[in-house]
Amino acid sequence: MRGPRLLLVLLLLTAFTLTALDARSGDGSPFEGLRRGVDAVLGPAQRALGGAVTRVAGAVDGESAADERLEQENARLRAELRRTDDLRRRVRELDELLQLRDDGSYPMVPARVTARGSAFGFASTVTIDAGSSDGIEPGQTVVSGDGLVGRTVRVGAFTSTVLLVTDPGFTVGARLDRQGTVGLATGTGDGLELALVEGGRLEEGDALLTTGSDTFVPGVPVGRVTSVDDGRQVSTAQVAPFVDVTALDLVGVVTEPPRSTPRVPLEPRPGS
Amino acid sequence: MTVRRALLSVATVLAALLVQSTVLTRLPLPGGAPDLLLVLVVAYALAEGPLSGTVTGFCAGLLADLTSDHELGRTALVLALVGYVAGLVADDPSYGGSGERSTLLPFAVVGLAAAGAVTVYAVEGLLLGDPRITASAWLTALLGTSAYCVLLTPFVVPVVGALVRRVGRDPLRHR
Repeated sequence: MRGPRLLLVLLLLTAFTLTALDARSGDGSPFEGLRRGVDAVLGPAQRALGGAVTRVAGAVDGESAADERLEQENARLRAELRRTDDLRRRVRELDELLQLRDDGSYPMVPARVTARGSAFGFASTVTIDAGSSDGIEPGQTVVSGDGLVGRTVRVGAFTSTVLLVTDPGFTVGARLDRQGTVGLATGTGDGLELALVEGGRLEEGDALLTTGSDTFVPGVPVGRVTSVDDGRQVSTAQVAPFVDVTALDLVGVVTEPPRSTPRVPLEPRPGS
Repeated sequence: MTVRRALLSVATVLAALLVQSTVLTRLPLPGGAPDLLLVLVVAYALAEGPLSGTVTGFCAGLLADLTSDHELGRTALVLALVGYVAGLVADDPSYGGSGERSTLLPFAVVGLAAAGAVTVYAVEGLLLGDPRITASAWLTALLGTSAYCVLLTPFVVPVVGALVRRVGRDPLRHR
């Protein structure tokens, strides 16, 4: 019985060394090439099998192509409706003078979810069937008709891993649609928690939209406030995402956010 | 190890990995999903003992790590440990290592192995500062993953046992 035990110790030490190396090196991991290689080999198989599973599941649900089109149309309209409150506020703030282009129309690469990350029940990632060959890069915003899905974290040639909005490692800058108050929303596993950056009031039913940053495009609906906790220092709120992360199918990856927002300088009007 | 026996391991592990990510984890189940890879490693360990279990567990885990977004080696460590312990149970004469084996044994081993795997993975996460590991997430995974793995057992353990007998037992086992 000494053989297996010795081998076990050796393999455990190897695994631990790999973990330590990978954890310490962060983004510039020496194993990135190896991961890419595995993605390139398993990606196409995953893509094919995942697509077939999605079609079979759709057929079992009795979902026809027409149903699917209606569903997508519905989702798009719902998302548009949610943006209306925000747009009204923005119009009020004379945003058009600044000629902000964030009306939610960005070049997008459509993709289907083919797999879900798994690590004994702890992971909150999905794999989509589009990768660097489709122009996708790490750190891009992923949306669906309902709103924000997450952001790309690892990109292979044909597949990419998406960190979901509900993941505890996920944080996004967000503002409330009616008040315009800004906060940070972080995943909690099954929803998000919003913490306001500055003071401000929070109300149940408020909708959240992304503020836009290096990573995220602005104006994407995130979720709705379900309960508010007025703390001593900061107010926090629980947020239910608009997107059902357990039933994702078609998503879009925003590949080209506006690199710089075009702004027109405001001239003081003469004589007033 | 014969070429055929090696191919069997490679094929089953790859198939399990694909089915896991494209089917099992996408099932709309409350409280997690079954872990096919874990059940597969236990099945090999029960059929062939600790050496086979440890090697299969390490290789399958490493492959799973490479397709995941967490640190490399975390699943490899967990599954190598699972394969070793499950293999010890299989070899122990008091559990019928040589003679008749209780039909309930695989269920018990898979259930305990899943609970142990979830816990070891959670401890690793705590050491690495993984924000996904919380008490409630651990409890959910502990109950959910273990229960679903037990449900998967009758579809995996007998199949792997039969395949291993067909292809020929791993000569490594007898050193």
